[in-house]
Amino acid sequence: MSTPPAEDGTDATMGPATDIETTSNTFLGDFWVNFKRWNLKAVRNPFVLVVSLVQPIIFLVLFTQVFGGVATQAINRGAASISYETYLMPAIAMQVALAAAATSGVGLVNDIEQGMFEKVLVSPMSRVGVFAGKSGAELLRIAFQIAIILVLGVALGGTVETGFVGALGVMAIGVLFAIWFMSLSNIIAVITRDQESTIIGANLLQFPLLFVSTAFLPLEALPGWIQTVATYNPVTYGVDAARAVILDQDVMTVIEVTQFGGIWNTLVPALVVLVALDVVFGTAAVVMLRRATSADVE
Amino acid sequence: MPEYAIDATDVVLTYSDGTEAVRGVDLQVPRGEFFGFLGPNGAGKTTAIKILATLLKPTGGQVTVNGFDVQREARQVRASIGYMPQETSIDPEMTARENLRFACESYGVPRSDRDERIAELLDLVDLADVAEKRADGFSGGMRKRLDAATALVHRPPLVFLDEPTTGLDPKARNRLWEYFERINEAGTTIFLTTQYLEEADQLCDRIGVIKAGEIVAEGSPTELKRRVGGEILDVELSDDAADPEQAATVAREAELFEEEATIDVTEDGITVTSERARSHGTDLLVALRDAGLTVTGFNIRAPTLDDVFLAITGEHVPEDAADAVPSEAVEVSR
Repeated sequence: MSTPPAEDGTDATMGPATDIETTSNTFLGDFWVNFKRWNLKAVRNPFVLVVSLVQPIIFLVLFTQVFGGVATQAINRGAASISYETYLMPAIAMQVALAAAATSGVGLVNDIEQGMFEKVLVSPMSRVGVFAGKSGAELLRIAFQIAIILVLGVALGGTVETGFVGALGVMAIGVLFAIWFMSLSNIIAVITRDQESTIIGANLLQFPLLFVSTAFLPLEALPGWIQTVATYNPVTYGVDAARAVILDQDVMTVIEVTQFGGIWNTLVPALVVLVALDVVFGTAAVVMLRRATSADVE
Repeated sequence: MPEYAIDATDVVLTYSDGTEAVRGVDLQVPRGEFFGFLGPNGAGKTTAIKILATLLKPTGGQVTVNGFDVQREARQVRASIGYMPQETSIDPEMTARENLRFACESYGVPRSDRDERIAELLDLVDLADVAEKRADGFSGGMRKRLDAATALVHRPPLVFLDEPTTGLDPKARNRLWEYFERINEAGTTIFLTTQYLEEADQLCDRIGVIKAGEIVAEGSPTELKRRVGGEILDVELSDDAADPEQAATVAREAELFEEEATIDVTEDGITVTSERARSHGTDLLVALRDAGLTVTGFNIRAPTLDDVFLAITGEHVPEDAADAVPSEAVEVSR
């Protein structure tokens, strides 16, 4: 404790500020501060980043090797000739988005447990800016992970018919797709305030959602009841949108849309569904977070 | 600047299930004061501090902090206070310097001031040598010191400290006390809740005692001790023939003490609080001996805050805080 005292004998550096009328915080500044913090934490704790990548990579490699032959027949009933690697890439991209989004609530629970949540709430930062910064960092991570999957998919023999722009489009779809599940993960986190429950809750949903969708096989190759469930499964819309971009063709079969032409017949309805889901789940998450940060903190 | 750092009138917080956590609290804390807030577990200390720090909304009453209304001007209140919660609140994945930088950015400390401010605070809390180390490797004391530093980056005129030294060893506790005294001497108002009465006694200019959501006593430590009335005579009886109830009856029937005196039965004897404790103490020992009771020890001491706490709340300080209560006893005979 070696700070020199001021001339009047007190510690000038420890004295209170005289101007307490204003705060210089801005929404963008608060967003940026939190965006940086959560990115730094991701870099400091690469375990989360690696774990949410490992399983999808294993799926990509094993599914193409084990089921490649059978699945290629199922997906090429028409005249087209699509490799299973190409067919699987959008599914794995959405799986990465799901797996990474599932960990979003864990970060929130960590902050609650470590007291950082309360500390942030008692600062003059905009609460929307705080959560937007955290979400922004997580979505950037998801985009980065999808890029890795696309590179790996191409290395295994897959193709992105729409090229580099198409790859960016798949990343954007992945981000849009992740928001609703990220919101759900945060809702579970606010309700349970427990890491394990949040992880289990989000993971419990992850695999059923993937398998009862068009992720791994075309709709017509699935049993009847799964076809019905797949129609209402958000994963179907995320995967179909990404697949339409990767294959550069209309792939949607759960809804028949013809008025937009080409891949837009898939993209428009899929994006409408994803945006609607994001709005619904995002609003629910904001309401839950607002309740958790106001009078019902205890 | 307002006269009072905290000005609360008839503050009420009732939860939706009907639980009244805070019931009509009136509290004025002048600027520059070191104010202590004491109370048994569940008395409403943390709830009250959370209302003042804008983390909970009161269901009734008026509260201004640094002149700002906690409900209508919550953001200005937040910008003008420092808050150190009960549980250590630092990010363990970040270094000490990064934690302080994040705090600076959170409070909008001007970019040009940040490096200097961080260096000063690291120096002040003796963490300059480990500034680049991640906080997850820090001891409990180091974390608390870093936490305290993060609450001060914006030089707030008012700092809330919610049981800041709980769980720390005496050395770490003393260092934090020294640190709090320094910022208070520099003009910062401090609002402290603690279960360590020694802490309140040593640091606070004034103390408020809360019980069941209501402030039941307020004053300087000296005033509060005076309210206990006189001195304390502790009498310890032999284990073999211990009958504290009988000893209490003997003490009452001997009529050695004034009417206002209190005679309490303890685990191994009795405690008499009286203006005449010193002058009539030996007479009591004689009376106990004549009644066939064996006295193995006694002492006369000035009241401590623990006695104040007991007199006001009817409870001793929690078990885990008892270690920190100093032995202020002046043993006159044994």
